This record gives sequence, C-alpha cells and structure tokens, in this order.
Amino acid sequence: MTAAEQVHQDVVVGEWHETLAGLRDGGFDYFDWLTAVDQTDAEEDAGFDVVCHLMATAAGTGRPPATLRRVLVRTRVPEGTSLASLTDLWRGAAWHERETHEMFGIEFTGFADGLGDTLRPLLLPDGFEGTPLRKSFVLAARASKAWPGEKEPGGGTARGKRRKLQPPGVPDESWGPR
Amino acid sequence: MTTDLPMPRVGLAAEHAPKVVRVVLNWGRRYSLWVFNFGLACCAIEFISASMARHDFIRLGVIPFAPGPRQADLMVVSGTVTDKMAPAVRRLYDQMPEPKYVISFGACSNSGGPYWDSYCVTKGVDQIIPVDVYVPGCPPRPEALLQGILKLQEKIAAETLSSKGIRTKYAGRAASAAEVTRPSLAPPGRQP
Repeated sequence: MTAAEQVHQDVVVGEWHETLAGLRDGGFDYFDWLTAVDQTDAEEDAGFDVVCHLMATAAGTGRPPATLRRVLVRTRVPEGTSLASLTDLWRGAAWHERETHEMFGIEFTGFADGLGDTLRPLLLPDGFEGTPLRKSFVLAARASKAWPGEKEPGGGTARGKRRKLQPPGVPDESWGPR
Repeated sequence: MTTDLPMPRVGLAAEHAPKVVRVVLNWGRRYSLWVFNFGLACCAIEFISASMARHDFIRLGVIPFAPGPRQADLMVVSGTVTDKMAPAVRRLYDQMPEPKYVISFGACSNSGGPYWDSYCVTKGVDQIIPVDVYVPGCPPRPEALLQGILKLQEKIAAETLSSKGIRTKYAGRAASAAEVTRPSLAPPGRQP
C-alpha cells in the first residue's frame, strides 16, 4: 500500500449518497468506516466533516489483495443539517452512523437497520445527555477541578511567551477560577 | 423483572463463637480467596501475570478458578470502569455471597486514572461498590498485587465474627437477581 493509492474525494452534502452509490458500483464494495470531524471553528464553511473510508476488495477479479484500492470520501455538513444515510448501500454502516449521531449529533435521513430504524445510542450509557465529541462539549470533571499536572513544558518557568494551551472540552476563563 | 433475594448471612451462633473458632474461621477465609477477576483493560494483563508461575498468587491461597461471581470471595477490579460498564460491575458484585472483598487494582479503577476528566469513565470503582484494598500504579507490577493481597489477608485476620460490621458495610444494598438493565431486542424481521 502506497500513499498514491489513497484517494481523497470531497463532495457536497447533496451528492453524498449518489457519490458513494457510484463508488460501490465502481468496485469499492467494502465499507470500512464512517466518522465525523468537528470543524465548527473553521474560518470558512464551518460544520462537521463526515468521512467515509471504502476499499475495493476486487472480489472475483482474480487480482491479488496487494492491489487493494481505497478511497476516502469527505463532505462538510453545516450544523443542524442532516445527511443521507448509507444503510441502504451497506447494512454495516448502521453502527457507524449511530455512533456518529450520538457523538456529534448529526442526523442521518433514511436510516434503516431493520431494528427500529431509529438512531438509538450505541456506546454511551443510558441517560447520557450531550454530544461528547463536539468541541463545544465541556468536560464536567474539568469544570470542577483543574488539571493536576504540568500545564506547560518546563512547568511555567520556561523563558519566553508561549501560546496558552486550550484544548477542546476544557472550560475557559468565563467558568471562573478552579 | 426484579426479584429481591435475602443476602446469605453467617449464622447467629458465629457471633458468640469463642476466640479460637474466630481464629480458625478467619484463617480459613484468608487462605481460600476464590478470586473473580473483573479485567477491563491492560491492568488485567498484570493480574494474569501475577497468577502465572513466576509470581504465583495461588501460594497465597488466591484461587483464580471461580466459575463465576456466585462462587467467588474476592473481586479484583483491574482496569478502566466506564459508566456503561458500571451497572454490570455492580450487578456481578451483588451476586457474590458474603463475606466478600474487593481489591481495586490500578489507577483507573482507583480514581479514573489518566482518564479522570473523560466524559465516559467512572471516577473510581468505589463510587459503585465498597473497596477493601487499593493498589496504586499504572499499571501496578504483579508484586504490588501480591502486596495488596497480603494487606487484605491482614485485614481478614483482624475481623471479628460479629456480622454487625458486615451489615453496616453493605447497608441498603439488597442483592437482586434477574435484573435487566435494558430491554432485549428482537431479531430482525420479528416483532418484539
């Protein structure tokens, strides 16, 4: 597997299902995974990147598995917009879409897994509220207690100004001192 | 469906047993700890290592062949307890007969460890079940588990047979059987 064989493809939200159906018919028959990336703080076109990874197993063509082709399909979904579900193309996409829904709050229209056809929580415990993998999700433990370890390399005694680290999920100054 | 079962108790006569009997009973308990390993993450590997030939905790009377929680005396929680797993940990603990002991093995089950600020990790297994001995480390060496077992055995040896202490320890914790935390799903194509 070389990097050249890895193909990226950016599509708009409306062509998501159509593109993936075309790729599946074009030989990319193996659905590997689907996930999202929070890009709501992007400079332009803020939203969520939904990424889908497909592989061409070349089943039945007699080619060796060393020539496995793969493709990453990506679309930018604005917040509050729903995306077409892929469960009619690959049944296995159901778990990935349920996980993406509970972690990022992205809706998938036409979701059908034959077990109720609703985007029920998959991994989170019963009664969990919120979408924990969004950057706007504040960690409750961090709100009540400061990070117990070193905040900066060198323990704050390092010379020169460093940009203050503010990882996602950590409450900012407006939450008050901790 | 939930059925409340009475917790198996040590008989009333045991409370008035003479000291010699107490010593013998505690000696029996401390050297026959059938262990139920709740391996949830990498710490479980250290637990397995402690059970193997080099460290060999069977020589301390810890027997890792309990067929299930109902036959076990000691539960070793080794690994990260998540909020999703916590009801199962609690349920299996409830199924163990008294007297029962818990060793919390490793930073994660002690306090949440490196995942203390995660949205899904329980901040210590002692939030759901009472813990007797905490073994620190990430992960602890097998020797640390051996030391934890020795500490627990000291604790058992010092126990009195009065069930008063045990009753307060498990106060308000009725064992329940046949508890289903969420409804089962029907197979595809069949109505539930």
